[in-house]
Amino acid sequence: MKNRLKVLRAENDWSQQDLADRLGVSRQSVNAIETGRYDPSLPLAFSIADIFNMRIEDIFQRETDG
Amino acid sequence: MTVLMMAPMILTVPMIWAANRQLNSADNGCLGRGIAQKRYVKRVAVFTSLYLLSFGVMIFASIEGEPPLWLRTFLAILPGLAVIGIIWSVGRLIVEEEDEFLRMLVIRQSLVATGFSLSAASIWGFMEVADVVVHADAYWWVIAWFFGFGVGAISNRIQYGTWGAL
Repeated sequence: MKNRLKVLRAENDWSQQDLADRLGVSRQSVNAIETGRYDPSLPLAFSIADIFNMRIEDIFQRETDG
Repeated sequence: MTVLMMAPMILTVPMIWAANRQLNSADNGCLGRGIAQKRYVKRVAVFTSLYLLSFGVMIFASIEGEPPLWLRTFLAILPGLAVIGIIWSVGRLIVEEEDEFLRMLVIRQSLVATGFSLSAASIWGFMEVADVVVHADAYWWVIAWFFGFGVGAISNRIQYGTWGAL
């Protein structure tokens, strides 16, 4: 799964730690999700979407999606 | 043999101090919230101390004379209980860790450790039957499990780019 987390974070001028603090997770988690090494659970994906006021599918896409 | 048994556990003492220092200095920052990890480090420190103490008492009792069977049994069980405590600490960490990614890394580490130690025990056991290697007492497989825990951390680093919280 690919995602726009890094771009969205940069648009808000947040560091990985800033986003991690907002989500209540570790910086490693944010880094792993951003780099596509780890796909978050549905509750965490909802939390990420809530923080950016977006829908999950606007942040996370399947690899096959354009 | 006694030194060989003590060495791995004694080596965990500076490791525990270093881990605790790291968790404190991180100010719950790059290591996540760190509450579950701090509890884990404290629990492991307590059970490692109990292991060293109980093992010392067991050795002392055997040097001092021939204790009765019930006492030998009791003293021999104590170090094993302390090791069970360390394994229980890993289990509690998995239960208490709120960060799903870090929890997954610990679970992955535990699976690698279990696979590593059981594989090593199987191979060694059959080699022992074939008189290729010397007899290894069963407690060595727990030490192999802890070694495998380290292998699991390396695996996490390769696969996920982080050693994990431990």
